[in-house]
Amino acid sequence: MLFGAVLLAACAGNEWASPADLGRALSGDQTMWSLLLIRWRLPRVLAAALVGTLLGASGAVFQGVFRNPLAEPYLLGSAGGAALGSTVALLVPLGVSQALSLPLLAFVGAWGSTGVVLAVSRVAGAVDAAGMLLAGVAVAAVLGALRSYLMLALSNEAVSLQAVLSWVLGGVQTPTWTALAMFALIAAGCIALTMPLARGLDLIGLGEIMATGFGLSVRRFIALAVVVASLSVAAAVALGGLIAFVGLAAPHIARWLVGPLHQRLLPAAALVGASLVTLADAVARAALPPAEIPLGLVTALVGGPFFILLLARKRRS
Amino acid sequence: MTLLQAEHLTVNRGGQEILSDVCVSFEATGSTAIIGPNGAGKSTLLKSLAGVLTPTAGRVLFGGKDIAGLSGAARARAIGYLPQQFQPYWDLSVADLVRLGAERGQKKSGGDIDSIVAGFELTNMSKRRWSTLSGGEGSRVLLAMVLASDPSVLLADEPGASLDVRHRIALVQGLLRRSSKSASIVVMHDLDLAFRFFDRILLLNGRRIVADAPPRELIDDRCLDEAFGIQFERLETAHGPLLRAI
Repeated sequence: MLFGAVLLAACAGNEWASPADLGRALSGDQTMWSLLLIRWRLPRVLAAALVGTLLGASGAVFQGVFRNPLAEPYLLGSAGGAALGSTVALLVPLGVSQALSLPLLAFVGAWGSTGVVLAVSRVAGAVDAAGMLLAGVAVAAVLGALRSYLMLALSNEAVSLQAVLSWVLGGVQTPTWTALAMFALIAAGCIALTMPLARGLDLIGLGEIMATGFGLSVRRFIALAVVVASLSVAAAVALGGLIAFVGLAAPHIARWLVGPLHQRLLPAAALVGASLVTLADAVARAALPPAEIPLGLVTALVGGPFFILLLARKRRS
Repeated sequence: MTLLQAEHLTVNRGGQEILSDVCVSFEATGSTAIIGPNGAGKSTLLKSLAGVLTPTAGRVLFGGKDIAGLSGAARARAIGYLPQQFQPYWDLSVADLVRLGAERGQKKSGGDIDSIVAGFELTNMSKRRWSTLSGGEGSRVLLAMVLASDPSVLLADEPGASLDVRHRIALVQGLLRRSSKSASIVVMHDLDLAFRFFDRILLLNGRRIVADAPPRELIDDRCLDEAFGIQFERLETAHGPLLRAI
């Protein structure tokens, strides 16, 4: 499924390419068209797949930890933190290239805000799922207010709000091949850290008291799982901005495909997430040429109804 | 030989004392029913013995070692704790649930789950999902999950409280089947079954153990009436004495 999605996405675009064009480009053809495909389209498609992988896997972890079908990767403040970080990068003159500061600050914001949420819930003595969710809502409100203030105070004709807005709506950056390779390494690391959480997620799904009886140190596990998943989210946000809905839908679709045991669910959610983002990114590039629709709008606009359709069919059967 | 021992257990929750300086020990075999009125501290005592709740003061020894010092994995394999309520969040199959119980505390997976499932006579429902099970089937699966690692102690909190009498008796007999070679400690609301099937009765009242005796000795003791705040009539039946509230 993922392979098909990647192939389709690689063909789709402002100008459609045939699979044969791709084959020529990959075999070292030096025409302009082949070079364009290699330099611009393929890295973008692969980056989209990586972002989706991270969102799908972390979404499955969040739903497992919080045992809530509405849980999604941006739940614990990472969206607000990433948005604040990117706003700073786009509006405050830092004297560094935005290509560097934007992903970096988005990453720091996303992970940092989850750290704040964990710290707040610990100080408040509520290191359980409900306490963390509430702390997440509170921290998100504060971060949102800060960002709105920054946008009002710092924007002028020179630095436009549109740049901030379009980043928040999500869109996979086209990386260089080196950057892509680095990001692939980071993503592989995130997935390698995520997979050992599978058994703990299964146990915590039995309820906290049963999980404790079965030897899981519940509070420690929740904190560990949240930190690991947030690392994935922060990496995804740094490259792809805020992509609505994928982290919510991918684990559900994966659960229908392979069942609820996390040993199989985590990789399946990662693959489904990768397919979804790759396809959505293709739509974003190809639907209204030469303009490009923000990716987050595509995932929400197309993904929402599609997910409702799947849900209805599943419920009826 | 003493296997499990509580030393001066005190548990406070929300400024209230729930258990007060409880000392009790259990042999490696035999069956014990914990009875008492609501709020006496039965579930709290059971959770402390299972190591899923940390006491405010005192300690629990398992095989002479403080249970708080055991790794979660070692504790989980040696002690089977069957909670009062169990509602898995994900709709797992019976085989998967038993697998989680059998593999708890182990790094490696695998093992022959099919034969474990067969040992609990669950083969014909092993592929069914939890949501499709009846109350009686669900309680059998839960018992199989807890016993699948062959723990040396079973601690069960009101098993089968919601079942009809036939299924409840079957369940209690199922969990006592092992009491010739391991210890079974069970919180019981059903006094009839407690006095009929168990070797030893612990009566809790007001955060303490007020009686600890075999059922034959305890049944005539007036402390029962006092603990439950009710008068019991003792009836002799062909199957032994029976308590009836009047």
